[in-house]
Amino acid sequence: MSSIELHEVWKSYPRWQAGHRTLRGLASRRFATIARRGERRWALRDVTVEIPPGESFGVIGQNGAGKSTLLRLTAGIGRPTRGKIQVPRSTASVLNLGDLFDPELTGEENARTIAMVSGLRKDRAKAVVPAAIAFAEVEDFADAPVRTYSDGMKLRLAFGVVAQLQPEVLLLDEVMAVGDLRFQAKCLERIRELRADGMTLLFASHDLDQIAAECKRAIWLQNGVVRSSGDADEVIASYREAMTTTTMELTPPPITDGDDSTLELRRNRFGSQEVTIDEVRMSGANAGAISELGVGEPLAVTLVLRGHAGPVRGAAVAVSIFRTSDGVVCCDSNTETDGVSLGQLESETTVTLRYDRLDLLPGHYMIEVGVYAPDWEYAYDLHTQAYDLHVIGRREAHGVYRPPHRWHVE
Amino acid sequence: MAKPSGVRLADSGPALTEIEKPTRGRESGRLDRLGRFWDLVLHLAQRETSSRHRFTLLGWTWPLARQLAQLGVLVFTFSHIVKLEIPDFPAFVFSGLIAWSWFASSLVTATGSVVANRNLAFQSGFPLAVLPAVAVAVPLLDVFFALPVLAVLLATAGELHATFLFLPVILVVQLVLMTGIAWLFATAQVFLRDVQNFVTLLLLVLFYVTPVFYDRSSVPDEYQWVLLANPMTTLIEAYRSIFLDGSLPAAKPFAILALVSIGVAALGYAVFRRSEDGFVDEL
Repeated sequence: MSSIELHEVWKSYPRWQAGHRTLRGLASRRFATIARRGERRWALRDVTVEIPPGESFGVIGQNGAGKSTLLRLTAGIGRPTRGKIQVPRSTASVLNLGDLFDPELTGEENARTIAMVSGLRKDRAKAVVPAAIAFAEVEDFADAPVRTYSDGMKLRLAFGVVAQLQPEVLLLDEVMAVGDLRFQAKCLERIRELRADGMTLLFASHDLDQIAAECKRAIWLQNGVVRSSGDADEVIASYREAMTTTTMELTPPPITDGDDSTLELRRNRFGSQEVTIDEVRMSGANAGAISELGVGEPLAVTLVLRGHAGPVRGAAVAVSIFRTSDGVVCCDSNTETDGVSLGQLESETTVTLRYDRLDLLPGHYMIEVGVYAPDWEYAYDLHTQAYDLHVIGRREAHGVYRPPHRWHVE
Repeated sequence: MAKPSGVRLADSGPALTEIEKPTRGRESGRLDRLGRFWDLVLHLAQRETSSRHRFTLLGWTWPLARQLAQLGVLVFTFSHIVKLEIPDFPAFVFSGLIAWSWFASSLVTATGSVVANRNLAFQSGFPLAVLPAVAVAVPLLDVFFALPVLAVLLATAGELHATFLFLPVILVVQLVLMTGIAWLFATAQVFLRDVQNFVTLLLLVLFYVTPVFYDRSSVPDEYQWVLLANPMTTLIEAYRSIFLDGSLPAAKPFAILALVSIGVAALGYAVFRRSEDGFVDEL
């Protein structure tokens, strides 16, 4: 007995274009239109998913792969072109809840609307509003119009209401991607509580680690088709592998014209080269370039990016530090997880990552830098094992890093 | 996973659809659904009005001010420039104008109600049929605000009759009729955005084909049918008979109108419900 069941679901959208339904459009395009009448864009093709009650199920895939369509159909918004969908009556979703806000009305009034639209009757809606406001931590602003709220506050309030519902099924689409980290953790905690009570979760996200942590099984959608389905860790592993393969395939052959650069394509440099990292600079407390630093000193890694194939939006930069001896990842940061937008990459963009103090133990490390296409689809430019970092000091402990600490004995 | 036979990627033929409709709404039962529908209409209508008037100085009185201005212009024009010589002209015009304003303003907003509330249409479990009903309910408040003014006009004319108490019945008939039309027009607007323009044009013409500021008796016989085909004519005459004549509306036309209203509402609801699953793809 499944909680959610999608059976051979197909979903297509007509290919509407502007002017398609104006008289002029009809007249001038008449024959072409008739000829192309059958042409439709398939957002989902033959998707079958069965989720037993109480299970958490992940959906991964790139933008436009059909994740949102899948969640929407499951939520009962629109209907499949073919196939069958069954969900329990009590299904809640956090899809587009933020759109419901009326900026002129107070947080409290808006929370009540969200509760009622989510399916609560008047009295219940009234009753859950205080708890929702408390969960969202906007008590001090409950009577202020929502136009004075930040985006984060609105999101918190919307989730605060959903946290008060006790649905059999919860549909989550990327909501955790916004808001501060502490509140994200709070939301995940609440979702875990609800799951412990037997709630089924269907969760679409770009964040593979989050899917791996929350979900037992997952599917990977590519162009609306199920590319892989089953154990979440395995699906994620094959997704990651495919991304690496794509990067390899897109990497142009090396140029052999006696370039004195230490970088060589297909050896320590990969990616499509649509955006390149032209310069990588490491600096310490002062602006000057360094290749070694002492334990606990600051480090800044500066990348100069250049776009070659027109403007690019939604790219992400990642910087990781590996230990040379055994390849252990000591730290790994990227702009997407940290919620930093690179804006539009066109000509030259300089990105700097600053560690206030780098408490790595003395030894040899390597810095890997990369700039990636939206959704980590493939790398534009990835420099691996190309930059050395030597941390100097007296080696006095095992482990990877040594944070500032004090002993205290009573 | 066996593919449905005969499926091509560019196939627009009859869909082999077998849909177990995800049930909209969390609570089961027809009564609960009705209760939720009612809750939502009241809540959203209240939300709409309080949002609209919150940061204005005159707040609730603005719609009334608009009606009074229109009344003033009509009364001046047709008693000082073109002399119509209808007794108690201000009360006569205002009783028609209240019904007409409600009809016109709710029809315009109701037509666009689904398209304008895209955010609500994309909520799971939200009964979309609420939206046109809200658009009809909101200007009903303006009617209630205008009634005391009408009562004063009637009192000064010495025409305050006990038949005033029959008003709720006529209001309900108009409400039912308009909600039905609202469902039809809102559906049409989703699929063809020209409908909004058509409605604006229709109302412009209809204002003169409805006896708001004149009496139907002054219309030549050969055009009478045009007015009689217009349900607003029967409604406005019903209002006038209880306000000004102190008699109940003519039974036969009013009974027919009530039946027609119920029919239109049933048709509108059926059409709306049949089409609403397709709305999301068009928004």
